[in-house]
Amino acid sequence: MKFIKRKWTAGEADEWTKEDWIAIVISPLAYIFIMVGVALSFLLLWYGFLILAAGVVLTVVMHWVINPKLKSISDRYELHQKEYIRELEESVRWEDR
Amino acid sequence: MVTFTFLDWLWLSLFLVLMVVCGALFYRLGKRSEADFFLAGRGLPWWLPASSVYATHTATDTPMWVSGVIYRYGLSGLWYTFFSAWCAISAFVSTRIFRRSVAYTQAEWNTLRFGGLGAEMLRGWLAGWQVFMNMFILGWVGIAMGKICHMAFGWPTWIGLTVFSSICAVYVLSAGYWGVVMADFQQGVIALFVIIVVSVWGVIAAGGASGIVSKLAAMGQSWRLNPFAFTGWFDGHFPVAWFLTMLFIALLGGFGMGTSIDWYPEAQRIQSARTVRDASYCIWWGSLLVVVRNSIWAVAILGFFVMFPGMTQTADYELAWFRIGFEYLPAGMVGFFFAAIIAIHLSTVSTHLNLGAAYATRDIFQHYIKPGSSERTLVWVGRVATFILLIGSFFYGLMMEELTEWLIFALWLMSAGIWLPNILQVVWWRFNAWGYLAAWISNLGLSWLVVWILPEFGILPHLKDFQQFWLLMLLGALIYIPVTFLTRPENMDHLVKYYVMSRPIGWWGPVRREAERRGLLQKVKEIT
Repeated sequence: MKFIKRKWTAGEADEWTKEDWIAIVISPLAYIFIMVGVALSFLLLWYGFLILAAGVVLTVVMHWVINPKLKSISDRYELHQKEYIRELEESVRWEDR
Repeated sequence: MVTFTFLDWLWLSLFLVLMVVCGALFYRLGKRSEADFFLAGRGLPWWLPASSVYATHTATDTPMWVSGVIYRYGLSGLWYTFFSAWCAISAFVSTRIFRRSVAYTQAEWNTLRFGGLGAEMLRGWLAGWQVFMNMFILGWVGIAMGKICHMAFGWPTWIGLTVFSSICAVYVLSAGYWGVVMADFQQGVIALFVIIVVSVWGVIAAGGASGIVSKLAAMGQSWRLNPFAFTGWFDGHFPVAWFLTMLFIALLGGFGMGTSIDWYPEAQRIQSARTVRDASYCIWWGSLLVVVRNSIWAVAILGFFVMFPGMTQTADYELAWFRIGFEYLPAGMVGFFFAAIIAIHLSTVSTHLNLGAAYATRDIFQHYIKPGSSERTLVWVGRVATFILLIGSFFYGLMMEELTEWLIFALWLMSAGIWLPNILQVVWWRFNAWGYLAAWISNLGLSWLVVWILPEFGILPHLKDFQQFWLLMLLGALIYIPVTFLTRPENMDHLVKYYVMSRPIGWWGPVRREAERRGLLQKVKEIT
């Protein structure tokens, strides 16, 4: 079994797994690297370009890890969404019940 | 004072016509239903609400604020703008959970997460607070626009406050959120383009990138190039303790809902995305653009610093970026720059007009006054609420000078003592409506005590912001945690329904087991 799961069944994707935690850790790091990297690159400092490149790599890795799971969650959830919205609207119109 | 040429007026006129017409074109979509007027029918691809996230959080006062912290603290000032990074984690946690709830607003979410009287009280309180806050923010950014117009053209401030917000109201009133998000897209593109052009112009004016670096070295100010130029563990303008507190608040806040004032407009964008995946990406990419924008601005402000060092008045150096645009762009481009300032302004105004109206319509009118209203009625109520918010914002804007200090304090009330409860409501099944209400109420009193009253009587020293945060968080917890345990948990049926729909992260064991027992979820072992 691979360390990063890229094929999800509908039920599996609804669970919180290590792929979520990897995205949760990488995501703010990507923000930090890109923020600092853009500023220093704009000043044409060589290490700014390195930091920015690291931020881009982190962004790509994060999407590679989390995108299959998010897609699977979305596909499964959409099967139920109409029902949830109908229930919500019924609860809002409480006088009709 | 700025003098416009014919070309400047042309840019400005074309932009205003383009924006109003593009927004109003969606009139027929906006009037179809309440869901269209406030959520664009929940069908947007991620890049549209992402551009709206970015455009909304680029307001007229934002470049002033960024200019202020960068001029004072150099690149380490970027961390003052890093609070928006709560979205980095929220995109994969609270965004996902909120999108699955299908709630229109955060107030409505309260009645899905909690039940009974407590939930109703929370919904009413939050809805009223949000109507007020959106009107206040509209007044705040409106008066900032008034000041910019006064600086540039010598107009009285009320003209800048009222004219552009009124133009914006044309497409918000006609097309609702459809108009907001479509106009935000073009405004976001124009604003980003101009931010890059003006900042590059500023850097060139300061002698180029290498010129800025060498001039800072010659001035003995090279520390301004270091984003991690700490001044000690607890002392100075950039202590490590402040930095760690900021990271803690910003990043862990992504596990909760409402941990940042920006959550409320983002929640609307989250629900307008067509899938859970689109919702996550709209928040992540929209906020990344905010972070990148701040970095671009920061370098231009460093350029301004080497040209005009030694400014001591905040009111002077906060206008740095606007001065670069108005004073250094060539004739014919100034109108384009001003059009971009209007784009920045209107994207924020349109969002808060529609968002405040959403709370007034969905959570107050429909929920408490006339639940059986037709879609047509709800759209019209949305329009009336939008108009009232617009007029109310003018009054707020004109009073803002006297109110600012108090209202900043009101914002503070929303953050420190409520920060942890806003996370607990998402991650802990046992946290109930009474605990959350107790947190809000106790925070009102504790904030007054810690920030104003106790220091005034010498009982408590005047604490720094980050010290106040930790103290308020601790004192609040001493109240709402006992209240939570002394009151009943939420009804299990209600919690199971919420859990199956939203699948929240955190400590939800008893609810999950009950859902499995009822056959509503498969056990993890069976599906792996």
